[in-house]
Amino acid sequence: MSGDTVELGGGLDDVSIAINDPGEMDREHHGWADRMMINVANVVAWLFPLLMVGIVAQVIMRQNGFNQAWLDDAQWWMYGFAMLTGFAYAITTQSHVRVDILHQNYSPEKRARIEVFAIGWLLVPFLLIMTDILTHYAWSSILALEGSDSPNGLHRLYLLKTSLPIMFVIAVTAAWGVFKRNLQVFSEVKLHTVLLWMLPAALFLMTRLFHYGLFWFYALTTDMTWRKITKEPAFSQVGLYAIAFVALLIVIGFVLSRNKSKEA
Amino acid sequence: MQILSLFDFLTLNQWSVLAMFGIFLVMLFRGVPVAYALVGVSLVFIVLGEFVLDPNRKLINEFIEFDRTGITYTKLFANGGRFFGGIIKNPVLVALPMFIFMGLMLDQSGVAQRMMKAMQVLFGALKGGLALSVMLIGIILAASTGVIGASVVLLGVMGIPTMMAQNYSKPIATGTIAASGTLGILIPPSIMLVIMSDQLAISLGDLFMGALFPGLLLGVLYIIFLIVYGLVNPKAMPVPENRPPVDMTVIKETALSVMPPMALILLVLGSIFFGFATPTEASGLGAMGATILALLNRKLNMTVFKDVMRQTLNTSGYIVGIFIAANFFAFILRRFGGDEIIENMVLSSFDDKYLVVLFILFIIFLLGFLLDWIEITLIIMPLMLPVVLALDIPVDGFGVVDNPSIVWFAILVAVTLQTSFLTPPVGFALFYLKGVCPPEITLGHIYKGVIPFVLLQLTGLGIVFAFPSIVTWLPAVAYAN
Repeated sequence: MSGDTVELGGGLDDVSIAINDPGEMDREHHGWADRMMINVANVVAWLFPLLMVGIVAQVIMRQNGFNQAWLDDAQWWMYGFAMLTGFAYAITTQSHVRVDILHQNYSPEKRARIEVFAIGWLLVPFLLIMTDILTHYAWSSILALEGSDSPNGLHRLYLLKTSLPIMFVIAVTAAWGVFKRNLQVFSEVKLHTVLLWMLPAALFLMTRLFHYGLFWFYALTTDMTWRKITKEPAFSQVGLYAIAFVALLIVIGFVLSRNKSKEA
Repeated sequence: MQILSLFDFLTLNQWSVLAMFGIFLVMLFRGVPVAYALVGVSLVFIVLGEFVLDPNRKLINEFIEFDRTGITYTKLFANGGRFFGGIIKNPVLVALPMFIFMGLMLDQSGVAQRMMKAMQVLFGALKGGLALSVMLIGIILAASTGVIGASVVLLGVMGIPTMMAQNYSKPIATGTIAASGTLGILIPPSIMLVIMSDQLAISLGDLFMGALFPGLLLGVLYIIFLIVYGLVNPKAMPVPENRPPVDMTVIKETALSVMPPMALILLVLGSIFFGFATPTEASGLGAMGATILALLNRKLNMTVFKDVMRQTLNTSGYIVGIFIAANFFAFILRRFGGDEIIENMVLSSFDDKYLVVLFILFIIFLLGFLLDWIEITLIIMPLMLPVVLALDIPVDGFGVVDNPSIVWFAILVAVTLQTSFLTPPVGFALFYLKGVCPPEITLGHIYKGVIPFVLLQLTGLGIVFAFPSIVTWLPAVAYAN
């Protein structure tokens, strides 16, 4: 072989498309929330090889005349659970798709501002709404002890449905980690800065907390039916209570941080 | 009231829908992740619906008459079942993470490097042999990933240094790589087709089989172009001096290197074609096959295995993020009657139905500059489905293929998107490629090199547009028996 071909062919063995562990990027800036999410994801990632083996086993068994209906269900159970985890994981790794024509030229501080706004004002309210919705959805499934469509399928479907709101809570935690990481870049992490940068989320959370608080107050102290409770006039005011309460917290946070900076 | 005159030419709902897209675009350009922007816009309109447009609020009713907006928090609860049914309980989409896993594993398995090594010796005597090798590897490994960034980067990292060492002209080298890298979103098994079949409610098997001939057609067009170009302009693609003779060992090595990935693709497509497995099961078989290939090539160890599955989780995570967001967005948009508004706008754009299809393709072409295929298939395709159905285009399904016009339309969109990703100045593939090029290759070289391929793409698009049977014939044969 001549020298030239060695040059042509050589080095190709070392060339491989770089693959890396998304959870290890930028590790030095990670907080507890980020590490929690990454650890959960690292465990859940094992579902993919498991899914692969499950599918292959299913194909082989079906060819030999053993059709396992539960394995069909198990496939989309694993897929569904893993996908939701992946959704939360991609929040932590900040890999949700974005248009970066302008973004890539922004200063790190501006990028952090956009990230904080996107998470606090857009993403977290959505995650909270979905958590609320899916909790109700899971609860009705648990009450009905919902099973599989197929008689030989995986029963206890309510277990999968219960995992949905839990995964959304984990996603909220993951979002909090990224939020805090980015807020630190351009501002101090104080009660009032956090509340202002996630104002819609805070308002929504408070509204729902007041709502459920009132609900259980009526449910435990009176003997009204559950349906009737929410018709009580107090429920139309929860939004206002929430606004007042969040405003109060912001003022308290602001005053506290001013006092501290004066002392220092 | 002054304000009311604004509502004379557009109804309140139409204004809301326009505003929804306007706000969405502004956020996109600021670099807000697409999924967050989508849910954010939806939230704005929930708030609007709940507090401003609520039909039960008398005060506003006195000023504004509105047709059927009514989003209340209670109505949102319907989204729980939609979320579960559309995203979680979706056996077809199980193929998505499996094909991603297969692609990532295939990239790691070293088959591409081995093919490259063998092929460049085999085609060494031919002018443009190296370019042909890259092109063939691109076609064979199109299965590798539907994520175009990954294919372009893989081919670029392998191909650019060798092509430069052989004094290829920079435009032709970069053009070849960009073009062959984008073939991956069209040639099955592509994850874009998996998502399209879900969004358009057509059979994934039909779509895979339908995409095969158009994909190969483009591949053949590329190859003919390279061979002709090599003959016309030999200086651009010089033959290496000192090349080793082509003997039996070279041919044997090429065959050995090409066989495993070919066998894998045949396993995936063949099991669908012969009805041995559903596309979902084929994805599992493919993932297993790729793992075995990596194992046989001694490239698989625990670190690689873990990285591949974590990367799979991350990639499926950001794809499903847009899924979740688009699902929510569509739910809200429908409440405003937004889908009908858009449907009517598009349908009334042209009188001729083929012009309407071309108009949609043109819009998608433009969107391709800005958005990746993930967003386009998930946000735009569901909106266009009723339009194309309403056009009722006569496409011959040979009595076997369901909704042949939709299958044809999906393939047209796939080819359009591929063209869009290649088109200067802002095609995605070009920037991915620039990222792995040495500094002496400028964007200008890449722009220049890719233009002939864009023209070939348009030719391919024209052929598929004019002869829909190219798409529908194979699925008809596959499912006839």
